[in-house]
Amino acid sequence: MFLRMVLGALTRQKKKLLMMACAMALGISLATAMLNVMLDVGDKINQELKTYGANIIVTPRGASFLADLYGVEDGAGVSDKYLSEAELPNLKTIFWAFNIVDFTPYLDASVSVNGHEEKVPLLGAWFAKHLDIPTGEAVDTGIINMKSWWDIRGSWLKDDDESGVMAGSIFAGKQGIKTGDKLTIFARDNSGKVQTAFLTVRSVFHSGDKEDEGLLAPLALVQGLTGLEGKVRRVEVSALTTPENDLSRRASQNPRSLSRQDWEIWYCTAYVSAIAYQIEEALTDARAKAILQVAESEGKILQKTRLLMLLLTFLSLACSALAISNLVTANVLERSVEIGLLKALGATNASISFALLTEMLIATGIGGVVGYGTGLGLASIIGHSVFGSAVSAKALVIPIAALLVLLVTIGGSLPALRMLLRLRPAEVLHGRQ
Amino acid sequence: MTRQAMFRRIVLSSLIRRRSRMLVALLAVLIGTTVFLGMGAVYYDIPRQMGREFRSYGANLVLVAAGGGSVLKLEEARRAIALLPVDKVVGATPFRYETMYYNKQGLTVVGTDFSAVRKTSPYWRVQGEWPQKDDEILIGADIAEHTRLYAGSFIALEVSPPKGRKIKKEMKISGVVHSGGAEDGFVLMPLAGMETLLGAGGTAAVVEISIAAASEEIAAFSAAIQAKTPGLTPRLVKRIADSETTVLSRLQALIFMVTGIVLFLTLICVGTTMLTVVMERRGEIGLKKALGADNKAIIFEFIGEGVVLALAGWLPGLVSGYFFAQMVSVSVFSREVDLPFFLVPLTLCASLAVTITASLLPAAAAVDVEPALVLGGE
Amino acid sequence: MNILELKDVSMLYGQVMALQNISLSVASGEWVAIMGASGSGKTTLMNIVGCMNKATRGTVTLDGENISRLDGRDLTAIRRDKIGLIFQQFHLISYLTAVENVMIAQYYHSMADEQETLRALKRVGLTHRAGHLPRQLSGGEQQRLCIARALINYPRLILADEPTGNLDESNQNTVLDIFHQLHAEGSTIIVVTHSPEVAAHAQRVVSLEFGRLVSDVPAQRFH
Repeated sequence: MFLRMVLGALTRQKKKLLMMACAMALGISLATAMLNVMLDVGDKINQELKTYGANIIVTPRGASFLADLYGVEDGAGVSDKYLSEAELPNLKTIFWAFNIVDFTPYLDASVSVNGHEEKVPLLGAWFAKHLDIPTGEAVDTGIINMKSWWDIRGSWLKDDDESGVMAGSIFAGKQGIKTGDKLTIFARDNSGKVQTAFLTVRSVFHSGDKEDEGLLAPLALVQGLTGLEGKVRRVEVSALTTPENDLSRRASQNPRSLSRQDWEIWYCTAYVSAIAYQIEEALTDARAKAILQVAESEGKILQKTRLLMLLLTFLSLACSALAISNLVTANVLERSVEIGLLKALGATNASISFALLTEMLIATGIGGVVGYGTGLGLASIIGHSVFGSAVSAKALVIPIAALLVLLVTIGGSLPALRMLLRLRPAEVLHGRQ
Repeated sequence: MTRQAMFRRIVLSSLIRRRSRMLVALLAVLIGTTVFLGMGAVYYDIPRQMGREFRSYGANLVLVAAGGGSVLKLEEARRAIALLPVDKVVGATPFRYETMYYNKQGLTVVGTDFSAVRKTSPYWRVQGEWPQKDDEILIGADIAEHTRLYAGSFIALEVSPPKGRKIKKEMKISGVVHSGGAEDGFVLMPLAGMETLLGAGGTAAVVEISIAAASEEIAAFSAAIQAKTPGLTPRLVKRIADSETTVLSRLQALIFMVTGIVLFLTLICVGTTMLTVVMERRGEIGLKKALGADNKAIIFEFIGEGVVLALAGWLPGLVSGYFFAQMVSVSVFSREVDLPFFLVPLTLCASLAVTITASLLPAAAAVDVEPALVLGGE
Repeated sequence: MNILELKDVSMLYGQVMALQNISLSVASGEWVAIMGASGSGKTTLMNIVGCMNKATRGTVTLDGENISRLDGRDLTAIRRDKIGLIFQQFHLISYLTAVENVMIAQYYHSMADEQETLRALKRVGLTHRAGHLPRQLSGGEQQRLCIARALINYPRLILADEPTGNLDESNQNTVLDIFHQLHAEGSTIIVVTHSPEVAAHAQRVVSLEFGRLVSDVPAQRFH
């Protein structure tokens, strides 16, 4: 009989219950979308922040700090320590290999162009180098991915281009160099011999940085000119990281000062200092440093975004929960006559409440399921329109959504039920409500 | 009694005496207003606050001497900065580079303004103290490691001014700076201290400026600087400015979408609640028609109720909406929320729109309600 | 003069003939009872006379005006001006006080006048209940309130649908006393009822069966 009553109400009260199911569907779709976006926003923003370029720089251990000084005359204390290019695929074998988004090695040389006295910096780099990693994966990495803000008039070079070069905008402006010009380059290799190369300017780039004052060429070409085959001066690494905290700051001072347990937590978290430490382990005589300008700022932005989304999610969930339980209340209130009748027929408060709650829960439960599906759709619309990629559906959202349906329905029904059950059946039935 | 007075009496009685239902409707309007105002403020204010956060990446505009010169005049830089809107300039820091020697080894020594550098490069980490006096300096982390000097040590720097004899000066290292960038290999001293040592006051090699603006806006500023101060060339730091534009626009789009969706769904939800509350009144409409009310009179009564509800929910909604926005702003950005005034009337319009629409639906149905409904008996 | 004239009035709901060729006239100042079992067409007739429904066929003349072809808006106006309705279920507006429930009829008619309303309440003996809500009133009081509301606009015709159906005997007598008073003052009253006892108070008793008028006799003879 109970079942018949509930089913009867469900089929005959279609319109009202449909309205409630719809409202619940809206609410749950909101909750699902917000929760999924919130849980994924960190990863998404982290990816976006990679447009700022490298956050870790790797240099040879013991290299003179004067090597990359600004404004110091050439030759002063230039060190002859290098990293090995052959070891670089090891970067993709560290514990946090998956978080290493891109990296590129650099080798710089000072050359004279077309017989001019003035020395011009020539920088060798990977553009989109294809690497086969010892783990069996393959990646393409280089500065094309890492310097998203560069303006290129023309196209990027290919790594196997033996005679191509890109000119920085300031250098090109000073010398009147255009795409297609032929340059004769003289460089002194490590044994002191003068090497000559005939290169074609493939494109002109504008980076807004000091690279604009020189030339850019594939790494192999610069290695050939300088006689430093297989060697690189420094490596820039772009990695997805977790915002720093006290532990990671202590670790970045000195990892050995940590207790064993702290050390493990630190090592197994994607802190920039932990990744830098692992890079040092993977490369011989390397020193990896976090570039704080990028690492620190991205941590800050990530934290703010997460907190913002968390708060927005929480507040909007609270509001919609309130709004829907309010709607449930309105629905229950409307059924005063029915409840009065059931009481007049001798139904107990408990049995009325139970039947009504079951009925409400079936309606809102169906709404919740529909809402979950819609919410996933909404989340992927947000993901695609904002980030250009889908927001991954997190399993955690399902129990939260189910709990919300339950709490909101019961929370909305009970106060109204209690109020209605207090009424005497005669009052309700005789229109004296 | 005038018709207006009776109208008011009917509307108010309907609201006040049907307490539980009207509380439900009022709560719905209140929630709607809260979310509308709160989300409106978030929509309006948060993207700008986010923009401020991006200033932690440091300078996005650099001033250098025009025509390839290596020295610019600070006086001129000050005039250039005066061209920028004061509220958007986060900081401006001069840098002057000189070579000095420590144990016959060349070092790049940077003269700068430390209070300004903390605004333009907030990511520097200093172990020890920031320099307070003219003869206190910071050394880069790489130098510290190489020379085994630390905060509190003294260092004798040798320098040969353009004119005159070599000078040796004892400096106190107040701290070690660590940034992961070029600064790790520099010695940094107060600009004033460098000027007393070397002369050539009021000059610098570059001035770094941090502006809270998008890259197009900065490009416009830099065009203005170029035109008004011929001695300077402004250069956009593309890495910072362009990346900020990319990421910030994504974040803003995210906030816009999220606030839009929350707002839309909440309003629908509120509308549905209102609808449920008024839907049950078919019988009453039939009775009023039987008593001789025409459609117009009934529709007016419902609209009147809607307006009163909207007003009653709007006022407390303003307060709770403000707290909503304030809570977000203070806990995320530690700043007071900047609530634009136009949101206040806009919120009222929105709540009126929702309540009136929701009231009008049953009133529109009233046109079809047969007065005979009341006679049908049970 | 006849205040109400029905000529060959029929009412069809789909295929069901609810009223069939009813002809009936009620003179001004007359008190008529309409009797019949459930489904006999009493309520349908009442709806037509009360300007709440239009007959499918036939003509209805109320106070000299042919209302059988009027549209909804004009019917509303006629109902407002000429008819006072009294319901079995009372149909009071739950959120209005007694005095307001009467005033609302005045308000829809023309002007709300609280003094006049209070006089009307006094007449049905509800002065002390003026500020109470319907749920605070007894059944008899609610029906008296309903009568006060029906009278407030001085209707040409008072239509009562089972006015005593929900009342106990003493309340029923109070209501009937009021009807006698009204009748004495010259009001035209039509009472729809299934109770012979109530019908006996009228001058004329009209009986309906399956949508047909089966008898129309003076009340004494009906007894």
